[in-house]
Amino acid sequence: MTAFDPAPGRAFLRGRGQAADAPTARLVGLTVAGAVGTAVFALGLTAMLTGHSTLPALICLVGGQVLRAGSGWMSARIAARHALRVKSQLRRDVLGAVLGRRRGDAASVGEVTATVVDEVDAVEGYYTRYLPAALEARIAPLLIAAAVAMASPVSAGILLATLLPFAAIMALAGGAAGAEASRQFDALARLSGHFVDRVRALPVVLAFQAEAAETARVAQAAEEVSRRTLGVLRIAFVSTAALEFFAALAVALVAVYCGFALLGLLPFRAPETLDFRHAFFALALAPDFYAPMRRLAGAYHERQLAEAAAERLRSLAGGAPSVGPVATPQPPAPTAPEVRLRNLRLRFGDLVIGPLEVVAPAGGLTVILGPTGSGKSSLLAAILGETPLETGSVEIGSSRVGGPGGAAEPAAWAGQTPAFIPGSILDNLLMAGPGVTREAALAMAISFGLGPALSRRSEAGDTVLDERGSGLSGGERRRLALARACLKPARLLLLDEPTADLDVDAEAGIIASITALRGGRTVIVATHSEAMAAAADVVVRLT
Amino acid sequence: MTAHSPIGGLIAGERRRRHGDLRVAAMAAAVAGAAATLLLGLSGWFLAGAAIAGAGGVAAIGAFNYLLPSAGLRAMAILRTGGRYAERLFAHRAAFHALAAIRPALFAGLAASPPRKSLALSSGEAAAGLVQDVDAIETAFVHRSAPWAAGATAAMAAALIGLAAPLAAAAFLVGLAAQVAAGMWLGDRLTRAAGAAQLRAAGRLKDGLGAYLAAATELRSFGLTGRAIEALVAHDAVVGAAVVGRRDAEASLGLMQAGLAMATLVAVALLAQAAPLPLTALAMLSALAGMEGLSGLLASAQQRGAFREAVARLDAVLIDPGPVTPAPSGPVSLTILGRRLPPGSRLGISGPSGCGKTQLLEALVGLRGSSPGSLHIGSTPLEAGAAGWARGLFAFAPQDARLLTGTIAENLRLAAPDADESALWEALADAQLDARVARTREGLQTWIGDGGEVLSGGERRRLSLARAFLRPAPWLLLDEPTEGLDRGTEAELVTALERRLARTGQGVVIVSHRPLPLTLCTERIRMSPT
Repeated sequence: MTAFDPAPGRAFLRGRGQAADAPTARLVGLTVAGAVGTAVFALGLTAMLTGHSTLPALICLVGGQVLRAGSGWMSARIAARHALRVKSQLRRDVLGAVLGRRRGDAASVGEVTATVVDEVDAVEGYYTRYLPAALEARIAPLLIAAAVAMASPVSAGILLATLLPFAAIMALAGGAAGAEASRQFDALARLSGHFVDRVRALPVVLAFQAEAAETARVAQAAEEVSRRTLGVLRIAFVSTAALEFFAALAVALVAVYCGFALLGLLPFRAPETLDFRHAFFALALAPDFYAPMRRLAGAYHERQLAEAAAERLRSLAGGAPSVGPVATPQPPAPTAPEVRLRNLRLRFGDLVIGPLEVVAPAGGLTVILGPTGSGKSSLLAAILGETPLETGSVEIGSSRVGGPGGAAEPAAWAGQTPAFIPGSILDNLLMAGPGVTREAALAMAISFGLGPALSRRSEAGDTVLDERGSGLSGGERRRLALARACLKPARLLLLDEPTADLDVDAEAGIIASITALRGGRTVIVATHSEAMAAAADVVVRLT
Repeated sequence: MTAHSPIGGLIAGERRRRHGDLRVAAMAAAVAGAAATLLLGLSGWFLAGAAIAGAGGVAAIGAFNYLLPSAGLRAMAILRTGGRYAERLFAHRAAFHALAAIRPALFAGLAASPPRKSLALSSGEAAAGLVQDVDAIETAFVHRSAPWAAGATAAMAAALIGLAAPLAAAAFLVGLAAQVAAGMWLGDRLTRAAGAAQLRAAGRLKDGLGAYLAAATELRSFGLTGRAIEALVAHDAVVGAAVVGRRDAEASLGLMQAGLAMATLVAVALLAQAAPLPLTALAMLSALAGMEGLSGLLASAQQRGAFREAVARLDAVLIDPGPVTPAPSGPVSLTILGRRLPPGSRLGISGPSGCGKTQLLEALVGLRGSSPGSLHIGSTPLEAGAAGWARGLFAFAPQDARLLTGTIAENLRLAAPDADESALWEALADAQLDARVARTREGLQTWIGDGGEVLSGGERRRLSLARAFLRPAPWLLLDEPTEGLDRGTEAELVTALERRLARTGQGVVIVSHRPLPLTLCTERIRMSPT
């Protein structure tokens, strides 16, 4: 296990904060106003106790409190808005990164969800609590000490002297807590990922009556999260205890010094002569010397959580916020392109595909056959630009996939396990392209045999699909995905197992629909269907 | 939280179990609060006393006992530190142990809910439920010692102020009560709506994200990633507005507390002014410290809204599953659409897509309801029992070949937790997947990625079949068992399945579009379009 280095995460948080119009100057001003308010309040308190006229004392008390509380109120609002700006930009960037996620990435959907939602949320405390508190902790104690020094320089010296051992302890505890916080986030992401996966697979868990065993696993993951969180907090609490101790000690030392000075019993010659008024003012301000640091300690845990989250977010969102909209889809080419695979080799762990030399003729139907696991889907993914190539190249028309000449002509694709966006059947058809009309969408759906499925439902095309796509049978999902892909105005069509889940009659219908697309489009199909292969212009057999 | 709240019951149970830790935390909090008040009050008294004695000459100085107060100050400093540390440690220990117990209980409750409810829950909502809502419940434990801290601090401060002027003590307590009442009532009102809105919006963000992530490749291929991001950012803006609303409410609450605190202090000062100077100083500083002791209580009031919303959401997930129907045991006959199948029968079901073949199998394992009279277990209609009561009879390989994120062995052992490796290999061999697994470096321990995404479609299906083979149930339910397989593999699989059925004597119900698997079947049903 390598040591946790919080520096990059810290730099990331700082950079993000500055890019989002950091309100540092305003917060500094408000902190100074708050410290002045605190001193005026203590003055009022002293005047109340020793004064002969109450009115000035009251004015000091009220004025000081208004200044202090008002500046706190204002800086809380400013910091909340700053945090919102940072988080919005961060979430947008992270979303762009995770939706660009490729097949076979290690992180599960649940873990990615935790990153986008929970870890972005985890940075909030850094901007709303930690940053203002850090600013205050750097400025306010010195201002308070200066105010104390006006009444009693020795008391101010005592306050400043307790600061040194305290700072040393805080620095020691900080590093250890950072590593713990990082491990805690790992555990939390695992728990979230595990739970999402098991809920998604709940039908299977139920069918195999494995509820008890899976509950035990959730218990194990949850137990680990609790253990880690406690580990983080235990260290955080030690540093808070040190702070509490020095804060209490500072008050006690000032009280004892002032008391003995007033009694004239000091064992040394004090460089000042104290009266009760000055002594009480120093004492009344003494708790406020450490108060900003106590607030900072309360926010320390938030900073550590934010740094650990930043470490993960950094790799996704990059250092600087992205600008500009996401690239718009390119217009379709005027004619169907030829697709050439040159000396192409792909690798997935143990599985190596290729080297392959394939030319899919422009406007033709090319069928890829091969036993299960031979890499048919991966080949389509390579043409789609979803998979890194080990060697060789994929050329579509005059451009190269992933090549320096910019993005290749966008292909239409219907995957092996169709996924649908939240919305209705029609929404999912209309997503194929901006120019697709309702009528065209319905006509295409019907041409792929969805007519009975639509007329059976009272809402027809407006039937809403949920995340599991339920309400549609496996065959209907496949037909819908095919119709959607064909609606996209692309000249290259990649279809993965278009006739799976369908009986012989339906298969013949789909094959007829696909062969009808020839000419205007280049079609590449991965399939087990010999009937489909029989209709092809080119057949590629993988082994 | 009502008496009917299952989550409320869980929390109450955990509170009882963590009683020891919570009690230590409360006591430590009380000690720390009282010590903090005493520290500041005593300092003021000591200072004023010293000033008077110092002015009174040598005799007065000699008569002033300075050793006891100065030792007392140091003792209070240590008590305050130790008390705070112990409070935090024990309260959080209780909280996190309790959360670790509540999370699995929640999953178990979800699994036991009626399938129509639990299967409708999308993964995003459920994740929000477990991770986020349960975290919001943490407050129920961590803030339990806050009233003790506030109470002890207030009592100590009132006692000290009472030394100066009983009336001032009374005014202090009234002011304190006003702060608590306003803080609880307003804090609840101001932050409840914002906190609840934040949780709801974050849940929606997770939902939308889960749906779009599953379709990430489709989105890219249709050039819609940008639009998906905009849709999600719109959810994010709602979350953001709710969060800012909540922070603003908290800031306003702080402002109001400061006003009330000042009024209380002024009242104490005016009423205690007549007392001797040391006691007035004692009263004023005690009042200051005493009011600081409320902070924990007021912080917990601010989190009450989010807490209640979390409890309500969790309660909605945990639905009483109703009475359990005893599972049938031993070889049982099935009746499917009027066809009676003695134990060991082989039924093939075919029909055009969308006619309800898959629904029939899912109804048998209790993942959805069935039309009355269409299915019987023995002579009992399926719908007569609670959902899933007949599950023990079936080993199911579903159409979508759903796998768990994990290793091959983990997926297989879902069906037979105690199966040894040779049994796993045997099932893989019958599913024609053993050679593929043997080729991988880690064999049965190969990690198959999110939902099995490392495997091809045909491999996922065969792993799902091997899993069903491992379950020692009298009936196999196979939904499109050879879809996604090439002809050669399909033929070998059907031969192996035939051998396996002859060996185990299991009955089988096969739903298939493809003709070859149906050749195993002695009974056939062709369903017509609905």
